[in-house]
Formats: sequence, structure tokens, C-alpha cells
Amino acid sequence: MELNRRNFIALILGGAAGINLTPLPWKLMDDVAIWTQNWPWVPVPPVGKFTEVNSICTLCPGGCGIKVRKVDERAVKIEGRTDYPINPGGICPIGMGGLQLLYNESVRFTRPMKRIGPRGAGHFIDISWSEAFETLGSRISKLREEGRPEALAAIDGNPMRSTISLMIERFLKAVGTPNYVRVPCLEDTYQMGISLQQGTEGPVAYDLENSDFILSFGSGLLEGWGAPGRIMNLWGQIKGAEKRGTTSVVQIESRASNTASKADKWMALKPGTDSALALGLAHVILKERLYDSEFVNSHSFGFDDWRSADGKEHIGFKTLILKKYSPNQVSKITGVNADAIISLARDFAKAQAPVAIYGKGKGTLNGSLYEFMAVQSLNALVGRINMPGGVLTTEPIPLSPLPEVNLDSIAQAGLNKPRIDGAGNAQYPFAQSLINNFADSIINAPTSSIDTLLLFSANPDFTFPQRGIFRKALKKIPFIVSFSSYRDETSNMADLILPDCTYLEKMDDVVWPIGLQYPFYGLSKPVVKPLYDVKNSGDVIIKLTKRIGKTTAAAFPWNSYKEVLKDRVKGLYDSGGGFVDFTEDNPPWKSPGKRSDPSRNYSSFGEMWNKIQTGGYWYRPIKKYKGWDNLFKTPTGKFEFFSTRIEVAASRGSSENMGVKVKGDEACMPHYEPIDTKVSRSDHPLLMVPYDMINLSSSWTPNPPFVLKTIFDNQLLRDKSFAAINPKTAVKYKLRQGDKAVIKSPAGKAQVLISLSEGVAPGTVWLPMGFGHTAYDEFFKGKGVNPNDIIFAGKDPLSGHAIWWHTPVQLMKV
Amino acid sequence: MKQGHAQGKHKYGMVIDLDKCTGCGTCMVACAAENNVSVRSDESDKERSITWMQLYKITNGREFPDAETSYFPRPCMHCDEDGRGGHHPSCVSVCVATATKIDHNTGIVSQIYTRCIGCRYCQAACPYDARYFNWWDGYFPKGKGLERYLTPEVSARMRGVIEKCTFCHHRLMRAKNQAYAEGRRDIKEHEYITACAEACPVQAITFGDLNNPSHKVAQLAKSPHAFRLLERLNTKPKVYYLSTKDWVRKMADNYLPGEFKRVNKATG
Repeated sequence: MELNRRNFIALILGGAAGINLTPLPWKLMDDVAIWTQNWPWVPVPPVGKFTEVNSICTLCPGGCGIKVRKVDERAVKIEGRTDYPINPGGICPIGMGGLQLLYNESVRFTRPMKRIGPRGAGHFIDISWSEAFETLGSRISKLREEGRPEALAAIDGNPMRSTISLMIERFLKAVGTPNYVRVPCLEDTYQMGISLQQGTEGPVAYDLENSDFILSFGSGLLEGWGAPGRIMNLWGQIKGAEKRGTTSVVQIESRASNTASKADKWMALKPGTDSALALGLAHVILKERLYDSEFVNSHSFGFDDWRSADGKEHIGFKTLILKKYSPNQVSKITGVNADAIISLARDFAKAQAPVAIYGKGKGTLNGSLYEFMAVQSLNALVGRINMPGGVLTTEPIPLSPLPEVNLDSIAQAGLNKPRIDGAGNAQYPFAQSLINNFADSIINAPTSSIDTLLLFSANPDFTFPQRGIFRKALKKIPFIVSFSSYRDETSNMADLILPDCTYLEKMDDVVWPIGLQYPFYGLSKPVVKPLYDVKNSGDVIIKLTKRIGKTTAAAFPWNSYKEVLKDRVKGLYDSGGGFVDFTEDNPPWKSPGKRSDPSRNYSSFGEMWNKIQTGGYWYRPIKKYKGWDNLFKTPTGKFEFFSTRIEVAASRGSSENMGVKVKGDEACMPHYEPIDTKVSRSDHPLLMVPYDMINLSSSWTPNPPFVLKTIFDNQLLRDKSFAAINPKTAVKYKLRQGDKAVIKSPAGKAQVLISLSEGVAPGTVWLPMGFGHTAYDEFFKGKGVNPNDIIFAGKDPLSGHAIWWHTPVQLMKV
Repeated sequence: MKQGHAQGKHKYGMVIDLDKCTGCGTCMVACAAENNVSVRSDESDKERSITWMQLYKITNGREFPDAETSYFPRPCMHCDEDGRGGHHPSCVSVCVATATKIDHNTGIVSQIYTRCIGCRYCQAACPYDARYFNWWDGYFPKGKGLERYLTPEVSARMRGVIEKCTFCHHRLMRAKNQAYAEGRRDIKEHEYITACAEACPVQAITFGDLNNPSHKVAQLAKSPHAFRLLERLNTKPKVYYLSTKDWVRKMADNYLPGEFKRVNKATG
């Protein structure tokens, strides 16, 4: 065929038409679609063998059971675990996102490091573990040689009763320094209160599952109080169809938190007046004779007026309450309607199994001692101590104690020096440690008396109320060592980093989570091998003592932290009883008699240990409520409405010295006293109150970026966080939703956006806790403000801890 | 009238008890972790933030201290045919690339990323804002190692495609494989539940087969307190909500004055 113009065109057109009849263009189009969507930088997760590993979440002291799905060696998902007594199935959003803490290299320390840049900048270079041990070991040895071991201090943020805390405390003791300082939490307040009123060590055990009326004073039940998995599971049950209407929850809180909104009743009071309200309820119960006269007469001290051995007349709890806390008087203090107080008191006293619980949000910070005592007195008044569904009395969990430490003369001399935080002295007789005084005394001295500071699971440069003070103290301390897994604010101030494993890489224990009503011991197991060159701090301490040598080394005869844990668990076995298995229909809190306990399914300690060390647990169900003899270990042997220990302490020093304004008998009993903030209220007319959220960690652990998805855009917008104010306050300050404003207190100021909410009282400003990081990576760094920048902390009377829950502030539109 | 598709064997659905829901957000995190949803450094831009399960906060609009808050967790509603002529879910009807389909055997509305051409027509058509467009590739920056927690069960998405809740379809596959391996044809109620339902710490979310009267969802969906979102659009969502509070139920649709019927005299 001749190739002329006509044929050429026909060929081209025919070809073009023909190709369209083949699958080629369609196949190409499809391929292009696929190719343009499969870029090499879009991750393709490798496949492998699926397995599941059981462990325990130790991100907070709650100790929820977790089940981690793995693909070969990679962990890909965390879920709740149903074969577990505390939280059969559910966990909190932070625990759910935990893999982002394990695998986010930019928030972790991956190997030992030393600082090269200025403090706070976060510039470090890698060193070896042997260099790290050498640096720290020789520094501590030198302090001992110089005869001033007390210049070593540690701040420990691990949960109370945990074995790692015991190790740290023991290490400091063996070196010879009294300056072991704990990061305060709600349990410190519980422990002080329970030891004053009941003479026991605690822990406080609220039998919520068997209660039919839960009266919560500020406890963020749905914000993460106690063991969050336990509380939420309980919540699901009492709001579920089967139990609906059988348990009432009343929340007393100044803001419509999730707990307040979801409770059967919310009673809003002025911030910081909880004790007045509790005593107001007591007044109604006393006046209407709704109290448990049997308990009050047989098992309590200081209820009626009494005469002491020296012939002095004392007023009793009853007289005090009837005189000072009538509904009208309390209404003036708290802002709660008097009729509402009366009807709540009646409902509480007439319920079958009521319980009053005390808290401040999540409980990651301390509470107020007199407030706790007021709430606990309310329980005592209606006879709810040592009763099913009330507050159970407990004995310490039977873990083996560690052997005595043999001290050399250097250590002995060091331990005889006073603590620099003054805890336990005449001014602060009941506190175990006071981190706020620790910071103050360093700032106020010409040079820091602390030479070396060790930080364990603590980030006080972020979590300390009025943190500017702590930052100043850190700057003065010559040498700071951080054992944190994470590149947090305080670690950035450190000179030496000895990174711990993250919680999914190590074995560690959970000892009796806060508020739980039965003894529980859980052991987390490494879900994955440590990803980096990091070591469990327990092992690091043991190695360090070998470097220091002498009696310090002798105090740590173990080869590994695991051996210590095993030694401790032996005590559980020796105590007899207790289970290492769990079925959902037989929860440990079920009243004795209603349970059918499985037989103990281990015959030797070895067998028990094997079960526990694979992410297992031990617990002992509520057996029977012990008799009343020797229940209370107070000087009077009774529940003390009037604390004789406070009386003794006050007679040694003075109650004024302990920060208590009222005098005489009243100081020995729960009472309300307004806090003198030493700030002019006419200049600072509003009250700033920080609040907790269950989906945002405000503790020493970072947040998984996943939780950012759960934060509403009226809580955080780009890098600005919101302060919630009532529309009435907004009108007064000519502010609208989304306006920029500055909150100013004597401690500092912060710029926020304004969010209007009818859930907060006029005259208050609410800031979420957990934002405002200056460390970590782009997910959280520089986002929002940290209320701790503005908090102007006072001192809680008697306990000496910080009052962080309200600060007078100014609000200015920008 | 045109005949609709034959009624499928299963109709998977969800019942969310709003009285139980505490607004903790665990469902959102569980969903994102299960389905390889990436987190961008700024998630406060809610039009760009991808949340297959989204929590909405509602208030009763009253003044302090009578203000009350509640939450609506919102997955994809997995709308059904309306039963009167085979109308598909609104997203399925508009998809030009057959990238989203309803499976008549399960009732699950799927999303096939590699077919999606990114026109966002379905996103506009969805009355529930349950569909999300990937303006960027997933955020897994080099050097962080965040891609190490990704699960191979769900493919990571690329920019330019729509994604949404799939009722954790891969979990159905997992359960089916398990059943086949054990020589069974049917899967049991507890074998297939979504990640959010499994994670919910207050057990507010129940998942199962609405066609199977022995499943808990089928019973709960018949409760007098049960309702669906924008029910009158006739989208036939397979996600039901329960609330004893009238003010909460009233939020589920747009009512003219006097149009809303109270179920009881609960707070409102």
C-alpha cells in the first residue's frame, strides 16, 4: 500500500481508535492511579507473625492490664486485657497511645549522654555507660570522702510503695544522705490524714464497687483519679442497664468536669471550700441525729466535749460543727444553696452504703490535709469506716522488706544532718518530704547545699506548681543527673543522662494502686527488648553502688533489679493466700460470701513467681471485715475526730508555726480556714484554677501525639491553649470566644485564647494542665501554656505542701 | 418501582450508650492506632485532622451551674439502602471511581484507597462529616521511627485519597480466617468487634450483627431510648445511640418547634 497523506491519516486515526478498543489505555490509567499513590516514602509496614504479650501499664500509678499485639519483634497495638482484676478490658487514651512513646526517637534518650550546651538547651553528646558510671560514682565517692554525703539529693516521682522507690531511698541511705525527696501526689495527703485519724499507714481503700452513694469531693473520677481503668469500668457498670439507678454519684467540684457532668448530681462550690461543705453536711447529720451513734460512741475519740488528764476542758467535734458550720454559714463560704446542703446531707446519711471520697482532679499533685480529714470525718460520722461499700482499713501489702542497711560512720554522720526540706521537723511534723521547701531552701541559701541531684521519673521543671522557683533552684545546683527515659524539661537542665528503659521495655512493679480496696501487686514485663542502649534504673543503681563500694555496695547484694523484685515477691508467697489468676465473674471486691474463690493454683514459690513474672499479678480478695479491736492505731486506739498527735505537735512548736491560723482545739480537728494568699484581691479579682483531663498527661511522662486528635479546638488551637471563663465574666472584661487575653499573677503571666463556658463559675479562669511544654518535639513543644507558670503557690496548713488549686489573677484583653 | 438488592445475611452495626460515654477519647486513639491513621504536628485544625472516630461535645445550653455536657462519638454511620428502591448510601451513589461500595453481605461501606481519585465528592455528600481527605502523605518523618508501630493489617494512606471508618474490616477478615481455619462458616459475636468497641473503658460501645436477634446490638437498637443521627434523611445509619436524656436526643436531628417527641421526663 502506498503511503500517501490519506492512508497516513487513516493509519493514525485507525490506530488511535484501535488502541482504545484494547485494554491498554484502561490498564495504563489504572496503573498511573496506582503508581501515583505508591510513593517510596509512604510506609509499608512489614508483615510477620502475630503474637500477643500481656503486661501492665506503668505510665501512671493506676496499673492497668494491657495486651500488646506484636508483629515479629514490633509492637503494633496496645489494648486492655480482660484477664485482669483492675480493669477488665478498658484502658485510658494515653495508655492506648503508648507505642508512640516507645517508638518516638525524638522524645527519648537513646544512650547515656553528657551536656555540652548551656543548661536547658538540650545539647548533649553520647558517652559510654562505663564513663557515665565513672562520672557519677566518683562524684558520690568524693562527697563521701569529703564527709558531706548529705550534699547528694534525689527527687523521686515513682509511685509510693514501688520497689524502685525503695531502691532509690535505700541507695541514698547507704550513701548517707537524708535528702530523699518525693514528688508529692494525692496519696501523700491520704497517708498523712489516715495516720493522724486512724493511726495506720494506709493505703486508703475506697470500696466504691459495693457502695450505693458515692459522694466525691473533687475527685476526678473520670479525669484519671485512682486507677483509671478500674473507675471507668465501675462507671460503665453503674450506668449500665442492669445497675442503672442503684448507685448515685454526686460530684462536688467548681467546674463542670466530665465527672461533674456525668454524675447524677453536680454541686458547684467556690474553689478551695471543700472542707466547709463537708463539715456543713456533718452539721445537718448531727443536728438531725442521722449519725451512727454506735460507731461514734464506741470507736471514736473527740466527738463530744471532753476533759484531759490535766483537767483541761476541750471542745469536741460535735460542738465545733454545730457552732460553726450551719447550712447558712456554709452557704456563705461555699456559695452552695443551704437547702441543697440539707438535702444532700440527708441523702448521704440515709443511703444504705454511702462513701465520701476525697481528691483533687487526677491526684498527680497533693491535696489539702484538713480537707481530707473533713471528708474522712464525714465517713466516720455515718459509720462508714471499715464497712462494706465504705472506706476499708488496710494493712500494708505483705511484700518482703529489704534487709537492714549497715551504715558506716560517714553515712551515719550524713543521715544525722537535718533534711534541707524540713519535712518531719517541728514546723512540718507530718510531711515525709516537701519538694517546695527543697526548692526554697536552695534558692534562699547563698550557695546550694546540694551538690548532686538525681532525678528519677520526675519532671519538676514542668510539673512543679509555680515552676519558676524550681527552675531557679535547678540553676544553682552544681551537678544534675537525670535517669529519665524522655527528653523532658528537667533532663534538659541535667549534666548527665543515664536513661531508663521506657515502660514497655522493662520489668517493674505496681504496688497497690491508689484507692483500691484490696491488696494488689502487678509486675510489668518487657514487651519488646530495649530499642536502644538504655538500662533499667534499678539495675543502674546496683551497678553504681558497686562502683562506690564499701558499705554502699554491701547494701545492694543483688546482681540485678529482677532479683530484688523476686526477693520482695517472696513475702507475698510466705503470707499465704492470694491469687495469681482472675475470672471476670469473681472480682476481688465482691463481698465475702458472694464469691466462689478459685483454689490457689500454685504450689511453690517458683511456680508463683513464674506466673507473676510474665506480666502477671497477685491479689488477695476482700476476705472479711476485721473486728474493731486494734483496728485504729492512734494514741487513743480510736478513730480521732480530735487528733491527739496534732495536739502534741502543736504543744511542741505552735500551731501557728505549722501554718494553721485557728488556735487551740480547733486546730486539732478538721475545719475550714480561708487561705491568705498574700495577694491583693482588688488587683487580682479572678481565681485561676488548673484542671485535669483524662486525655492529656500532666505528669512526668510525655503525651503520645495521638491524644492531640482528642483535644477540642476550643482547648488548643495551633500553639495557643484556651482559658475557660463564664460568659458573665467575659461580658465584664469585654471578651469574646477566641479573643486573646493575658492572665497575670504575682508569679508570672501567660497569653491564652478565651473560651466561653457555662460550665465554670463567674469569677474563675480555668486552665488545662499538661500543655506548655518547652521540651519534646513538634507535637507538644511550645503548645499552649502551663498553669504552673502562673500558679502562685501558698502552703497548705499543717501539711506544708503547695496550695496549687487556686491563684488570684488579673485578666487583660490583648 | 425498582427492586432493591436482596437483604444481606449480616448487617453489622453499633450501639453507643451516651449515658455511659464519659468523653475520654480512648475510642479515638484506639481507632487511630488500629488503622494506621497518622498524626500531624498540628491536629487542632479540625478540617484537616483525620479522625475516623470523632468525639463531639454537646451542652444543654443552660447557665451555670445547670449546664450539662455530653459527648457524641461519631464513627462512619455505614448507611444502608433505604429499602424502597435500592438507594445506596449517599457517598456510594456519588463515587465516580467505585472506590466506595456497600457490601450487601455485611452492610459495611468500604473505602478502596487505590481506586480513589480524590475528587472529594463523597466527602461533600456525607451528611455526617465522616469522610476525610488526605491533603498530605501520612506524617512519618525520617529519624523519629514512628512508622515502627504501624500494623500490616491496614495499608498506610497516601495523599490525594479519601479515608474513613471501615468498622475495622480487617478484624472481620481476621475472625473469618480464624473460623475457616477451625472449620466453621460462621463467626461468633465476640470474635468480630471494632477497635473502638473493644477499647471503650466504660463499655459504652456495643458492636455486632443487627440482623441476628441474639446479638446484643440487635436488642439494644430496639430500646425506646435508641435513636440515630439525622434519621429523617433516610440514610438508614447502622450506628444507633442510646440516651435517657431528652436534650441529648434532641441534638440528633433538626426539629421544628413542637416537632420533637420526648420519651420521658428526664432532664432537658
